[in-house]
Amino acid sequence: MRITKPQLSLSRDNRKKMVPYLLIAPVIIYYTIFWLFPVLNAIVESFRDVDGIWTLGNYIYIFKDPVFYTALFDTAFLVIFSVTIEFVLAFGLALLINTKFKGSSIFLFLAMIPMALPAVAVGAMWSSGLATRGWLNSFLMHAGIIDDASKILFLAGGEMSRLWLIIIIDAWTVIPFVMIILLAGLQGIGADVREAGYIFGGTKFQVLRKITIPMLKPTITTAMILRIISAIQIWLIIVMLFGFNRLPTLLEQIVLNYDELGAASFERIGLALSVIVAIIVSATAILYLKVSGSFEKKKEQEVE
Amino acid sequence: MNSALQRQLRRSAKRTSLYIVLVGILFIIIFPIFFLFSFSFMSDYETYSEWPKPLVPSFKADFKIDKDTEGYHLYIFNKSENDFMPFGPLFFSNSEKDVSNLRKFIKLQANSKITDQKIEEYLRIVDKESKVEFSVRKDLLANYILFFQVINGAARAVLNSLMVAGATVVIALTIGGMGGYAFARYFFKGKNLLKLSVLFVRMFPAVSLAIPMVIILARMGLYDRPLGLSLVYSVGQISMSIWITASVFMSIPISLEEAAMIFGTTRVGAFWHVTLPLALPGLAACAMYSFIGSWNEVIAAVVLTQFNPTFPVVVYKALVGSQGQINLITAGSVAQAVPAIIFTLIIRKYIIQMWGGVKV
Amino acid sequence: MRKVLISLLVLFSLTAGYLFAGGQPEAAEADAPTTLVVSSRLYSPASEQKFLYDEVFPDFEKENNCIVKFEILDDTVLLKRAELQAETGRVTTDVVIVHNGVMDQWITNKYVEELPVSDWPGRTFSAAFLDSIMSGGKTYFAPVGGDVYLLLANQKAMKYLPSGADVQNITWEQYIDWAVAIAEGEGEGKTAVTGVPMKSLIYMYGGMFLSYGGEFPVINSPGALEGWKLLTKMHNAYSPTVMTYDNVTAPMKSGETWLTVAHMARTGEAYRSNPSNYVIAPAPKGPKGIGSIAGVSGFGVPVGAEHHDLALKFIEFMTRPEIAVKVARGTGGFLPPIDEAIKVLGDSPVDEVIKKGVLVLQTGVVSGVPGSAYTSWGAVKQVYDDVFAEMIIGTGVYDENLLNEAQAKLEALKK
Repeated sequence: MRITKPQLSLSRDNRKKMVPYLLIAPVIIYYTIFWLFPVLNAIVESFRDVDGIWTLGNYIYIFKDPVFYTALFDTAFLVIFSVTIEFVLAFGLALLINTKFKGSSIFLFLAMIPMALPAVAVGAMWSSGLATRGWLNSFLMHAGIIDDASKILFLAGGEMSRLWLIIIIDAWTVIPFVMIILLAGLQGIGADVREAGYIFGGTKFQVLRKITIPMLKPTITTAMILRIISAIQIWLIIVMLFGFNRLPTLLEQIVLNYDELGAASFERIGLALSVIVAIIVSATAILYLKVSGSFEKKKEQEVE
Repeated sequence: MNSALQRQLRRSAKRTSLYIVLVGILFIIIFPIFFLFSFSFMSDYETYSEWPKPLVPSFKADFKIDKDTEGYHLYIFNKSENDFMPFGPLFFSNSEKDVSNLRKFIKLQANSKITDQKIEEYLRIVDKESKVEFSVRKDLLANYILFFQVINGAARAVLNSLMVAGATVVIALTIGGMGGYAFARYFFKGKNLLKLSVLFVRMFPAVSLAIPMVIILARMGLYDRPLGLSLVYSVGQISMSIWITASVFMSIPISLEEAAMIFGTTRVGAFWHVTLPLALPGLAACAMYSFIGSWNEVIAAVVLTQFNPTFPVVVYKALVGSQGQINLITAGSVAQAVPAIIFTLIIRKYIIQMWGGVKV
Repeated sequence: MRKVLISLLVLFSLTAGYLFAGGQPEAAEADAPTTLVVSSRLYSPASEQKFLYDEVFPDFEKENNCIVKFEILDDTVLLKRAELQAETGRVTTDVVIVHNGVMDQWITNKYVEELPVSDWPGRTFSAAFLDSIMSGGKTYFAPVGGDVYLLLANQKAMKYLPSGADVQNITWEQYIDWAVAIAEGEGEGKTAVTGVPMKSLIYMYGGMFLSYGGEFPVINSPGALEGWKLLTKMHNAYSPTVMTYDNVTAPMKSGETWLTVAHMARTGEAYRSNPSNYVIAPAPKGPKGIGSIAGVSGFGVPVGAEHHDLALKFIEFMTRPEIAVKVARGTGGFLPPIDEAIKVLGDSPVDEVIKKGVLVLQTGVVSGVPGSAYTSWGAVKQVYDDVFAEMIIGTGVYDENLLNEAQAKLEALKK
């Protein structure tokens, strides 16, 4: 059966225009009902007071509250350091595992366990470990590294030490996730490209910098975006270790106002804070995409 | 010859250092989890009364009973003190009530099962010889048994969790998969904007949407129904699925579909017979990923369920009041973690394919 | 492997299909026993629930051919749900157990109905709690699980007890000297309090201020000022990680701390884990005697409860003196707030804890929790927590201005 080409492409063009929208329609409908509606509701309520009168009071309260700025700083600190550290370590791990070795599959499985642990377990594990008489000090004592007098007071430190503890715990939990994304990207590049780099006399570092990283850029961007979004939203482990208000972060303050304080007026402050956080997260994500040049890249792809 | 040997040496040195680094990394990963498991097999006394705490659970507990003018005294062997330490009531008599209370105490605090007759026998020895030392085997699974005894309807909750996770997977995979396919195969107006907005769904803090969500679900008659909960979970999972499935479909050459169409099948047929089978492992991995996500979720589930709680909710509620009983908490955590770890074991092969080619 | 994955995928589809095809949670069958749903903030520890299921509910279930379903939820969730259910008209709880701090909100919002207490002979509710459970001469809640504050000390701390002090009859001055002596002798603070914000620090300190003639929760009354002055001496006497304790049981059990004044359920739990290792006593005294915040929970029947009659029968059953004392013993660490029940206590470790509590309740200056007088009780607690963090742990220097500012914050939170 032979069909003349122009005819085919015309009918296909029409369908092509329709099909993607049809395929995406369920997503849009779903998000309209289950996301857009509650979000709009939250935004509207954040501009009203308990009696339903329009007001900017909730936002003014937040911007006047010194805790908000502490939360902002802590969150920024957490995001910058945890994302950087996680990325560097996960990238190193991914490079390491990418060189095939005996038992790499088992290694991958074990490395993925932290990802599968429920939040309750992670909280219980670390709070029982970091307590003064926890397993970490116990282990160090059994190993003869410290004695009772020199036991480490992990949880007694100031704000900075608390922040670092959270960064370390988050890194422990999340590195496998980042590593897997990067590993997948690395395997997509293929060894032959890098080998070509070596043939042309590149050192290991040069190959990494000039070939691997640029080729991995889209994957890196994905990993970073997903991590930035979730790093801004860290709160559960903080509350499990320190309780509310001892290490304020943006999300922790939302949960505190919205759920814990148990008053309608605070609930609305929680909502207003949610709107602010959503704006901050979006702005950060867009900023990151702009700086990393992902927008231009996409245009090129489209031209293809 | 010499240089060959050198090269070999260098290679094996490299290999060794690689393995040393790997073992180090594994140690850091496994180390905290090890204690989670270890504590879950210990008794209340082991987890709290020794300092430094034991690293591994013991298989038995050693006791001593002696006697003075007040009555009998019970002691338990404490490894860190390297001595018998007072345990239980200040003193007790050989009355039936005291003996049975003692038995209950030993079972609850030392996870060791002993009969009343045996205790009475020991007391008679104390009467004759002024003291007695004895060992009782420890019931390693006691925390798990207690845990499953106190949580009512664990089986029902596991079933609920499976239903929620199953429905989430189906919703996320069909809706998300369709979207992912569209992003992978077609160019259309607003594509980049749409793909980004899908990501933006995750940017509004989900905690503050719980109450409007309850109202929506209540109006739809889906409050406290597994399906309702899975609709909520799907909000996050769909956006994840779109990104993952898009990358899965992208990794399958479009030329294969075109080839099939040349042989006379429709686009849909080509998708069903060519693309889908090839994409299946990646899709299955994506499914598992949403599965783990909804299996472990508890914050929303606490608010959105009542009589049909999911397993994590049951675990969470059982643990809320057990802050002073780390052995019970760890047992509950492990009980919840094990299924998720098994899923991870199943997906590990496909997880790499799943993420291959994810691009912004 | 692929086969496994495919079959798993099929399995998911089937379960989901089952869901969509109306496999929703089946309704109770016609002649199956009725299910009575009890939603409670009390008895959250797993062992306590086990006790209720094993030893208490079966009798009631047999009497009435029903099944008791007991679920644990905290007060905020219970209230939120009552609000939602009042809105949607679908009441799914037959009996609630809520804290006296929120009882007011339940009563004023008409979420609970009046209880026919006059039909239930043979029980007298403890006078200390009548204010909370009654409103306008009507009783809306039946009290259960009363609590006060007790002192718990590790045996190892006894050698530091100031000379002349009697643990069972100790004053706050002596208690603080004791805590300081331990810290000096051991080289580190070994006293515990719930340092995590919005837990029970306010009650521990508030009780002390009552014993100096303060009123709860005023933070700068003359009595409270005197209390704070003394407490600043505790600067180094608290454990270095006190700010991360959300519960004193764990540090007291592990020996990380040796001394505390805390809620009797928490102190009781540690005490019962090894009675020979601890000394338990009433909270310390001040010039006005023992001071303590007394809390209580109450059974209530939500308006519109499906099994209304059965719910009332359940409450009647649970407040029988012999059942109340049995529950108090089995869930160790709470008082049976029924006078007839208190009379039958013996001298087992559990009864010991309960008796110390009764002593505090009957001889001490006690105050309830005026939670509903403030927009957010959590925010009130936070004011105390902030002063604690700044003045006791932070500087260790008494600062009356700080307390006056704190009181201003409390005033601002008043409704």
